[in-house]
Amino acid sequence: MTSEAGNSAPFLTIVVTGRNDDFGGDFNGRFIRALRFNHAQLSAAGVSHEFVFVEWAPIEKRPHLASVLREELRDLVGAELRSFVVDRAYHEALTLNPRLQFHEFIAKNVGIRRARGQFVLTTNTDIYLSRGVVNRLAAGTFETGVLYRAARHDLKAHIDVTWASWELLEDPRNCEIVNTIHPPCFTNASGDFLLLDTISYHRLRGFNEVYRTAKIHIDGNFCVKAHATGLILEDIGPPVYHVGRGTLHAQVGSYRENPGDAPWGDIRWKSDVVYVNTPGWGLGSAPERRLDSQSSFLEFDWNAIGPMVHLKGVVSPATRKEIA
Amino acid sequence: MIKRALRAVGLVRLVKYTAAVEQQKKAELRARKLAQQVEEVRADSRGWKAKAEEAHDQLKKAQATVAESAKRAERAEKLRVEAEHRLALDGKRKVDLVALETQLEESARELAFAREQLMAIEVKLDILEGAANVLDGRTRTVSAQRRTPEREPTV
Repeated sequence: MTSEAGNSAPFLTIVVTGRNDDFGGDFNGRFIRALRFNHAQLSAAGVSHEFVFVEWAPIEKRPHLASVLREELRDLVGAELRSFVVDRAYHEALTLNPRLQFHEFIAKNVGIRRARGQFVLTTNTDIYLSRGVVNRLAAGTFETGVLYRAARHDLKAHIDVTWASWELLEDPRNCEIVNTIHPPCFTNASGDFLLLDTISYHRLRGFNEVYRTAKIHIDGNFCVKAHATGLILEDIGPPVYHVGRGTLHAQVGSYRENPGDAPWGDIRWKSDVVYVNTPGWGLGSAPERRLDSQSSFLEFDWNAIGPMVHLKGVVSPATRKEIA
Repeated sequence: MIKRALRAVGLVRLVKYTAAVEQQKKAELRARKLAQQVEEVRADSRGWKAKAEEAHDQLKKAQATVAESAKRAERAEKLRVEAEHRLALDGKRKVDLVALETQLEESARELAFAREQLMAIEVKLDILEGAANVLDGRTRTVSAQRRTPEREPTV
C-alpha cells in the first residue's frame, strides 16, 4: 500500500478506525475484505495511497487489531499501512458521555493529523470504493478547498462479498437502498466518504472534539462547518458501497423512546452548530511509542488533551467568519 | 210695373233666376271648397299637434337623458375622487408594504440569529451537563476508594 515513490508522500491517505471488539459482527473480517478490495483497485488504477488505521481505546486482554492487520495483510507486499493505537486512557479522559465506548471521530482526527497524503479520505472500515470513485482518484482532478462527498449504496445484507468484485457491487439487484445526498451540506451518511485536501482538513482542525457527548452526526457536523467556513461541497458522482444497512440502522429503533440512552449519544443534539477545536486537535502532541515498523502507540499524557470543557469552541453565527 | 208686381209675388225673370241659381251653385261650390280646406287645415292641425306632442315627448326624454347624464357625471366624479383617494392610499400602502417587508426580513434574520444562539447555548449546556456527570462519577469513585480502607479492620 505504499506510494510508488517509496517514502514520498502518497496522493491519497485513507483514514479508518476500529478496534478488536467484533463491533457489528465479524468486524475484522469485514474490515480486511474491504481494505484488500480497495487496495487492489487503487493499486491497479495507479493511485498512490496509504491506509492510516487508528485503533481507539483498544480492548484489554485482546491483541491489538493493528497487529492482527499486520499478520493478515502480509501478502500485500510493499504496501503501506500505518497504524496508531491510542491509549484507552484518552477515551476515558475525553468522553463526556459514559455510554459512548468509541469516539470514532476523534480517532479519525488522530489519523488526519498524521496523514501524509496530499488528499485525505476519511471513511469507514467496511466501505467499498466504486469503479467511478477509483477512476476519479486515478484522474486526480481534485481541487483544494473542495470537500468531495459520495452517496452510499447499501447492498442487501446477505450478499457474500468474500470475493467482492465491481460486477457484484454494481449489480442493481444487490442494492437495497441508496442514501442520497443533497446540497448544500451533503450530510447523509457523510462519515463514509469525506475527501478533502490535507491542508484544508488541518485548517478546519478535523471533526468536532468540543462536543463529546455524542458521536452520531459528528460527520454531518463537519460538513456544516466546512460549508460555514466557505469550502465548496461537491457530490463526486459515483457511489461507495456498504453491505447491509449498518449497525445504527439496526439499533436506532431500540432507542426511539429514550434517545439519550443510545450508545452513540443523543441523536437530537444540535449538530448544525459550528465548532473550533483547540490547536492540539487529533492528539497532535501525544507522545508516540513505536510498536513496530508500521505501528505506533500513543501514550497517555494530560498535556496532549485540551480542557474538559471548551465552551469558546462552540461558535455563534456572528463569529463564524472568524473560523476561516 | 209688371216687374214690381212679379217681385211682389216672389217671381223673377228667368234670366235672373238662372243667374241666381248659378250664383248659388258657385256659392255652394266655394262653400264645399272652403269646407274641404277647413277639413284639410284641421287635418294639418291634428298632424302638427301630434308632432308637437311627439316633440314634447322627445323633449321630456332628452331632459330625462340629460338628468341621467348629469347624475352619471356626478357619480363618475365621485368615483374619480374616490379612485384618486384610493390611489393615494395604495401609494401609502405600497410604502408601508416595503417597510413591512424590510421589517419582516430583519425579523427573520434576528429570529435565525436567535435560533442559532439558542442552538449554541443548548450545545454548551449539553457539554456542561456531560462534564458535570463525568466529574460526578469520578468524584464518587474516588470517594468510594477513600472510604474503603477506613472500613477495613486495622491489623
